Amino acid sequence: MAELNPIEVPVNDGLADPLEFAAALSRSFAQTQDIDNTVREALAQIVKLSRVEAGAIFLLDDARANLICRASVGPVDVTGLSVPNGSGIVGRAVTEDQIQIVEQAYQDQAFFAEADRKTGFVTRSILAAPMSVGQTVIGAVEVLNKQNGKPFNAEDQNLLRVMAASSALAISNARMADRLVAQERLQREVELAAEIQRHLLPAEEDEASPICGLVRPIQEVSGDFYDHFELPDGTIAFAIGDVSGKGLNASLLMSQTASLFRCLGKTVRDPARLMSILNREICDTVSRGMFVTMVAGLYEPATGHLRFANAGHIPPLLRRPNQRSVELPADSPPLGILPGSKYETEEVDLNGAQFILCTDGVTEFRFGDEELGTEGLDMLIDTARGKPIGQRLNAVVEELQRAGWRSRDDLTLLAIDDGMAARSIEQRAEAERANPDSSDFLFGLSFPADPKRLRLVRPAIRAAAEACGFDENETEDVLLAAGEAIENIIIHAYGNRRGEIALAIHRMPDGLMLRIRDFAPTVDPAKIQPRKLEDVRPGGLGTHFIRAVMDDASFIPLPDGEGNLLELIKRKR
Amino acid sequence: MAVASITEQSGRTVVALSGEIDMEEAPKVRRALLDSMKQKRDILVDLSQVTYIDSSGIASLIEGLQAARKQKNDLALVSVSQRARRVLELARLDKVFTIHADLATALATAKS
Repeated sequence: MAELNPIEVPVNDGLADPLEFAAALSRSFAQTQDIDNTVREALAQIVKLSRVEAGAIFLLDDARANLICRASVGPVDVTGLSVPNGSGIVGRAVTEDQIQIVEQAYQDQAFFAEADRKTGFVTRSILAAPMSVGQTVIGAVEVLNKQNGKPFNAEDQNLLRVMAASSALAISNARMADRLVAQERLQREVELAAEIQRHLLPAEEDEASPICGLVRPIQEVSGDFYDHFELPDGTIAFAIGDVSGKGLNASLLMSQTASLFRCLGKTVRDPARLMSILNREICDTVSRGMFVTMVAGLYEPATGHLRFANAGHIPPLLRRPNQRSVELPADSPPLGILPGSKYETEEVDLNGAQFILCTDGVTEFRFGDEELGTEGLDMLIDTARGKPIGQRLNAVVEELQRAGWRSRDDLTLLAIDDGMAARSIEQRAEAERANPDSSDFLFGLSFPADPKRLRLVRPAIRAAAEACGFDENETEDVLLAAGEAIENIIIHAYGNRRGEIALAIHRMPDGLMLRIRDFAPTVDPAKIQPRKLEDVRPGGLGTHFIRAVMDDASFIPLPDGEGNLLELIKRKR
Repeated sequence: MAVASITEQSGRTVVALSGEIDMEEAPKVRRALLDSMKQKRDILVDLSQVTYIDSSGIASLIEGLQAARKQKNDLALVSVSQRARRVLELARLDKVFTIHADLATALATAKS
């Protein structure tokens, strides 16, 4: 507790300068946050300056029903004494908002003699002044029995009136400060809740990860959450949820749901079953009317296979390169409404696609009169084209903030970019291939996308094919396929403009793998169709040749803007 | 050196190709074939010296065939190497083109 500075008031002929008193009192109140101590200190000064035998300060309680003695000075301590508002001299000062001067206490019917009887103190004269701030009376100060035995005079009245007003103002300020302290304490509790929530979110997002999420709460605590974690076999469990309602209750339900998911998501490998269990748990505990919408699922980065269940949440957005984005609808009810609700597991092969989840704070974001919607979100994700998915989500939020995000709802986004996963798997595979037991890297070369280079590249490919043990015809087939692929890049990917082509050849135990990479805008593999053979026209044959002579030809998805990677595999007969 | 020679033999224009007919060389073949059309004769394309041909090369041959047919001439292939035959077969064009085993056989064949 802060030590109190004594209030030093200059005394002049027994009378204090009321303004000095007021100033000193205010300083004292400003230095402490303990009202009772300050009230006691103020009263001590009032009693001293008034030269009386005793004094007390009474403050109205919250209900304004009783006056409670908060400080008393004199031979008997009456602190804590409660007097009904309106009774006694003090009560009259409060109800009438007038200074009361009583020459003979025992001749005033209002005098509350009970205190004297209990304490043995004999009250002779009383001076009581209301303490008010603006139009509001908060209590009263009374002083008893002038030390010189004389009656209270006008000067005594003026002094007490001024000191009462100063004290009232100071007490009022101190109470306000007290409320602020209480608010701060609540604020700290809210911050603590927010801190707990942050711990329930994935610790730190890895920008190179194919899965990434973010949450932007409008208040410190959020009703939104997302989570993702890797299981021992490399599968990633993920979830996004939105609790109905706002504030602490919603955030507590969110914390409960997030904890349950993190716990159950590690063992329950069927999203529909997981939802059923979560639903039962939440139904058991949730307060009436609240519910949770949620998408939870499992994603295998190695295969791009994704399973999920949707409990009343906004449908996930599936973004395939160079294709119109689609929503993956589901119509199971939210969690926490009916214990027996049925959920279904949906499956999708991402094949390099992006899988985007959000809460309605995003889709219901308003640009003027129009909601953003999933179409708007779809466009915003392309703001940071070619960037890792985490940066793209940040760009979405930045765009919304630039557009004046005043959403009533939290913003939460979670995205899986299978293209990035494919690339990191490619890197992993590359590392595995460096192991001579499985396959080895024969050579790589980079050259300009120029038809003149074809002739120079072919001998290298021929040598590699022969080194892999292919016969002459097979070698020629590899040469043909590689040549066609490179020509496609020159014509279609680069459109005869300048560019670079990177070629890598790996020996596999049963054949050869060619990887041909360009850095042109992403080509939609669906558009590269072999020509109809019945249709005898020049051109369009290359892709058909590649498919005819190789065992496997596929585009490895790369992040948008990073070019194209074609993998060709030829196996020995 | 995609086009080794263009000669006239027994009333036909013989275009002898050689080397690797890829994207870089195919335009030269195309030009040579279309220029040869002006003689209004049937054309024999000798592929005996061709070591590599891809879709670009095949495309030039198809264009030549179409141009020849348009002016009521024929375009036949001669001495198709195993490699070129493989590519023609892949494109299922081995039935579209008339293919002669060698130049002598082609020249002995009655004019269409």
